[in-house]
Amino acid sequence: MKNLTDITDKVKKNLIWKSIFRRDYRNTVRDRAMAVFGNVFLHLHPVQVRESAVKLRFTWGMGGITFFAFIILVITGVVLMFYYHPSVDQAYTDIKDLEFQVPYGVILRNLHRWGAHFMVIVVMIHMFRVFMTGSYKAPRQFNWGIGVFLLVLTFLLSFTGYLTPWDQLGFWAITVGTNMGAATPLLGYQGPFSELLHITPYNDVRFALLGGAQVAGNALLRSYIWHCVAIPLVATILMLVHFWRVRKDGGISKPQK
Amino acid sequence: MNPFIEIITQPDNIAIVIMIFMVSFFMVWAFQQAFQNDRLIASGLPVEGENDGFVDTFKPLVRIELIIALVVMVGLTIWSIAVDAPLEEIANPTITPNPAKAPWYFLGLQELLVYFDPWLAGVVLPSLIVVGLLAIPYIDINPKGNGYYTFSERKYAIIIFSFGFFVLWLLLIVIGVFFRGPGWLWYWPWQEWDHARVVYEPTKDLTSIIGIDSRSIPGIIIGGIVVLSYLVGGMVAPYLYWKKNNPELLKQLGMVRYITITFLFVTMMAIPIKMILRLVFLVKYVWIIPWFGGINF
Amino acid sequence: MANENKNNSSYRVYLFVFFSVLLLALSAWVVWDDEFGLRPWKKYQQEYKSLKHDKLEKDYKRAVVEFQRAGGHRKLADLEAKLKKAEDVFNSKETQEKYARVNKQLTDIHEQVVQNQKELRDLRGQFLESEYYFTKTQKQEYKAKMDGLQRKIDVNLLRGTELQKKEEPLKLSLSEFTSAKAAILAEIENMKNGLEEKKERIANNDKVPVDIKQIHIKDVDRADRCQSCHIGIDGKSQVSLKQPFTRHPASFVYLDHHDPSKFGCTFCHRGQGRATTSAEKAHGKVKHWDEPMLDGDMTQTSCLNCHGDIKGLRGAETIMKSTELIKKYGCYSCHKIPGYETVGDVGPVLTEVGTKVNYSWAVSWLLDPKKYFSTARMPKFFFTQDQAESIADYLFSMSGTTRHDADYTKATPNDKLVEQGKALWAQARCNLCHTTGGRGGNHIKVYAPDLSKVGSKVNKEWMFRWIKNPNAYFPGTKMPRFRFTDEEIRGLVEYIVKEYQDDEAEMKYVQPVEIKAASIKKGKELIQQYGCYGCHKLQGMEEMVQVAPSLKQQGVTFLRSNEMREKIGTELSSIGSKPVDMLDFGKLKKSIPNDRLSYIKQKLRDPRSYRLGLRMPDFRLAESEVNELASVLYGFTDANVPTRFLVPSRQELDRMAGVPSYKFTGDFAKVIADVKCTNCHAIRGIGADYAPDLSVAGSKLQESWIRSFLANPDVIRPLLQQMPKLGLSQGKPVAKVTMPRFNLGKQNVEDTNRSDVDVVINFFQQELVTSDIPKEVPKITTVDMTEQISKGKQLYDEKGCRACHQVGMDGGALGPNLSNVGNRLNSGFIFKHLENARKFKPDIVEPDYGFSERERIYLTNFLMTLKLTAK
Repeated sequence: MKNLTDITDKVKKNLIWKSIFRRDYRNTVRDRAMAVFGNVFLHLHPVQVRESAVKLRFTWGMGGITFFAFIILVITGVVLMFYYHPSVDQAYTDIKDLEFQVPYGVILRNLHRWGAHFMVIVVMIHMFRVFMTGSYKAPRQFNWGIGVFLLVLTFLLSFTGYLTPWDQLGFWAITVGTNMGAATPLLGYQGPFSELLHITPYNDVRFALLGGAQVAGNALLRSYIWHCVAIPLVATILMLVHFWRVRKDGGISKPQK
Repeated sequence: MNPFIEIITQPDNIAIVIMIFMVSFFMVWAFQQAFQNDRLIASGLPVEGENDGFVDTFKPLVRIELIIALVVMVGLTIWSIAVDAPLEEIANPTITPNPAKAPWYFLGLQELLVYFDPWLAGVVLPSLIVVGLLAIPYIDINPKGNGYYTFSERKYAIIIFSFGFFVLWLLLIVIGVFFRGPGWLWYWPWQEWDHARVVYEPTKDLTSIIGIDSRSIPGIIIGGIVVLSYLVGGMVAPYLYWKKNNPELLKQLGMVRYITITFLFVTMMAIPIKMILRLVFLVKYVWIIPWFGGINF
Repeated sequence: MANENKNNSSYRVYLFVFFSVLLLALSAWVVWDDEFGLRPWKKYQQEYKSLKHDKLEKDYKRAVVEFQRAGGHRKLADLEAKLKKAEDVFNSKETQEKYARVNKQLTDIHEQVVQNQKELRDLRGQFLESEYYFTKTQKQEYKAKMDGLQRKIDVNLLRGTELQKKEEPLKLSLSEFTSAKAAILAEIENMKNGLEEKKERIANNDKVPVDIKQIHIKDVDRADRCQSCHIGIDGKSQVSLKQPFTRHPASFVYLDHHDPSKFGCTFCHRGQGRATTSAEKAHGKVKHWDEPMLDGDMTQTSCLNCHGDIKGLRGAETIMKSTELIKKYGCYSCHKIPGYETVGDVGPVLTEVGTKVNYSWAVSWLLDPKKYFSTARMPKFFFTQDQAESIADYLFSMSGTTRHDADYTKATPNDKLVEQGKALWAQARCNLCHTTGGRGGNHIKVYAPDLSKVGSKVNKEWMFRWIKNPNAYFPGTKMPRFRFTDEEIRGLVEYIVKEYQDDEAEMKYVQPVEIKAASIKKGKELIQQYGCYGCHKLQGMEEMVQVAPSLKQQGVTFLRSNEMREKIGTELSSIGSKPVDMLDFGKLKKSIPNDRLSYIKQKLRDPRSYRLGLRMPDFRLAESEVNELASVLYGFTDANVPTRFLVPSRQELDRMAGVPSYKFTGDFAKVIADVKCTNCHAIRGIGADYAPDLSVAGSKLQESWIRSFLANPDVIRPLLQQMPKLGLSQGKPVAKVTMPRFNLGKQNVEDTNRSDVDVVINFFQQELVTSDIPKEVPKITTVDMTEQISKGKQLYDEKGCRACHQVGMDGGALGPNLSNVGNRLNSGFIFKHLENARKFKPDIVEPDYGFSERERIYLTNFLMTLKLTAK
């Protein structure tokens, strides 16, 4: 036992350890607080939280799970990007190679796909929970709105990712999805009032979404960029606002009567 | 293979099966807690968590976060090992699969295409859903039920939201995934999909049922009257009711809020009404406006 | 305030530990799965390596045993003793001193050489620098510097050569010291070499890395990883007969011409080349992959992807045989099939069919052609009696107004005429093409009709006209015009009509009956609906055909079926790669496998089974024919093949090069249009392979012999030649085949005063000659002719020619009979033929004896003496 403390002493009492952890943890109030605001990740939390925040039956952990799913998706997504070309000629074979040749390609793609489905499910349940506990009520009205936008962005993230393997499933799901855009009133060529603005299949909303009148190479590139760059960026910013407002609005809601 | 098992074991559909289980579980859990709190309120006791204090973030919260992350990671890994992500044939614009389905979370909207024109089902209604969700905190002026599960204190809000969420959103998704086959025809889970199957439904417009061409001027006028009177009636009737029984509420709401609430509610209820009209009475359109590229309700 | 519940926290710790361990275990599983579960080829490659190791080791051990048995180790011991002795000599003090001295000298000189080279490098560097400045500035000082440097360089080089000269003898004398030792060592090395090499191969095999073996075809971005499991597929020898380790079967045909590293596997075998995780996936036998792997003979369907002409292509025999079925049944008549655009109509002209056949016969034929004769090629359309009558009415209305039958059963023919006809029938060898009573019909590819019941089918007057000049009724028919006299034809007709009656034939319209207009109209509609005009030339079908506007401007209003843009059936040009989702399985969706091959087979087996309202008739194919035809159709793909793979047919090459394809011209064209030589013979790439190729017949055959042969054809080839050759060449019918007697020489060619035999001879001598073959055998003047002949005979006996060739009554029957070769062949041809027989006939059995030119001349001169005197 003496040896063990010797070893831990050796490990802890040097410049490198101290430069990383700064100070010892002794389970005092002060140390528990320091653990939180001394750490950039934990710093998202206040030093102390309402008891309801740690009650699983109250929050179901859904917000956190959504965020965790997002992190998994970002990590697997970035790795997948190394193996993928958003071009009609290569996209499909890239995915095939992921299955047949890339080390850990199968598990990587599966994690990304199922993680995405999981996130969509979880984000909906999160919204349901927030509604059921009335947590959108004052002072959290604005944050509910941010949440609604994040919900929409989650759908869009998944939707844009659907096309990337360039297989029949994705191709036709996107075709069906974007065809609805053609029916937008005023701005879609099949929508009402479109004649007023001289809208044709070549200048309507759908064309803007697809970069063409049909789902083809441009659509693949667009959906790739929306999926990998634009939407994650916006979602990240909105998430920061969301988390910030959770804290500023008083943390996880508690009964207010 | 049994067609039902075949459908639910399609890789992408497993997600929906998981969703059904998760949503049902949390729905039950939410209402169970709500009723429990209701009982406490009824007997004048504080609701769950009312007297809660604070705890340290480190470690109670951090620990629970880590455990949840682990559980999620374990679950996703098992899912990923057990089921391979689907990859069908390479995209081919000349072969349209039948049925061609949108991603599953949009299948509710695709299902609405049976009942509404695309501009309504695909654009206007989804936009209204987003607008409605955004509006919730501002139109719900009930101060009770903030921060705890309860049913009795906010019956209407919960009923309306649950109807929209479980029936109009999730149920339609489930229908779209499991009950729609080739030609977007209805298939029970035990029925084999038959690509050659043809179902002829002699749908009519509402005014055609009483013998007036829906595209003629009288037809358009009658259709218009029906739609507008539903809208206006639906928005005015509560006013009259509350004016008599609960004028205080109207005062609190104010005109803008009242109009927003009733408009959103009437629009939402138009969906099941139109579904019933279409499914039971085979009504295709209630009101046709043949101009401006066709605006049909 | 901070109230941490101790119990609660400890159970959370357990949870934490539990899930951490679970996640760790899952991660381990993922790693294992990715390393082994998803990489089955690793196991295969290891197994292959160990199998190969065993085999190589066995080889090595056997070699060691043999080495020892041959006394190898004793010789080795002797050599080693010698080596020891030589080393002792070399190591003696005296030798070592001498050796060191010479070595010292050499080292000194070598040092100087190195020094010199260093200086040279230095000078050259300076020279280049000066040159640069001179080119830039054109200043004379640099020029002067350059000259100076150049001089120094020259001196240096001179010194270098001198040093080298000094070095040479020193090196030589140095090597003398060790030469004895080196020679012995080399001998030892040599003895061990075979063994060492074998040992090394074992070591090399063990070093082969286990990894994915991939062939990447860059221009179409195709990656085939099949060899990751099929590791021995292009090995030099068979390591194991177990799958997936076997060698490619018949690789000398397939892989030798299609280097796997350039062609990959999936161009021929299909399947999913990229897949490596399981055999089902790699073989493409999974959902969402439309191209299941092809194996066995079915693979030959892929030859069609690249080879424009598979005729005579080695390794494509099965598919070649199968493609014949497309011509046999005329699939191209209703379906667009690339490569068959110019093939003629499969069915006879029907414009005057009313003057040819009996009405009753026509109706029963329409109802069920196979009822008339079982080998009928016309399919069954499932017409009702009414429909068949309407169609027959339409057909008869093109040349008349009545339904009529000609019944000859009661007529009493002139016996003498019949006798003459019977003799003529045999002499003209009608049975070569036509079957009667189950006999004859050896030349199957002309599809001549069975004549067993023809007497109840056709009209006598028509038959007379037909035999007299078949082209007049049906331009392009395969039936030749025999040069019969009218009297002879009359006899033949009487004989045929009497001999080949159908006892069961019904004759309802011996008394003609007027055809009703309504029925004609209905018949026309049916013909349009079922596209009879696809195979038969008809009148009144002009409006059926969409004529392209450009052709309309040229005044063309009626396109024949084979020129049509739109055909009645589905286009088949890419049926072999049509996505399965585009195939309509209709009501059989659940009852047959949903893949392309099953679809095609079922369609051929029962064309109208998928749904109601389909029009394709039933050809009642045998199951073997279904399989063959399906394998051909499967090969019609729009596969993305790199252009460098393509092997265009000769016609395509000619077209691309702007060379007009060969055409018969002049008077000979008229003869050939009549006699149809190309039904059996090939001439300059045109025609069939039934009889010998005549492309160089002018150089080969003597004129007098041709004349007498045409007058009275006789067998030249022995029986064996006509038997199917086992192996890789096309089978030929088993029968003694003789050319029919066309009676050439009796008539002049139309519009000329030349006899047709003269025209043929003239054509042979003008056109069918080649500069490769000399007219005469070269002369040897130094040796007496009789001596040459006797030397030739000696050679003939020595080399055992008589084992195969027959002269008189003596000799074998594998090669042609040589009894009359001196009258038949030109001496120049024999001379050339003895040099390289394969040049004229690639699949010939004659061995190459490697005769010298002189020997060939002797032999030729001998053979030219073999003559039969004319009777």
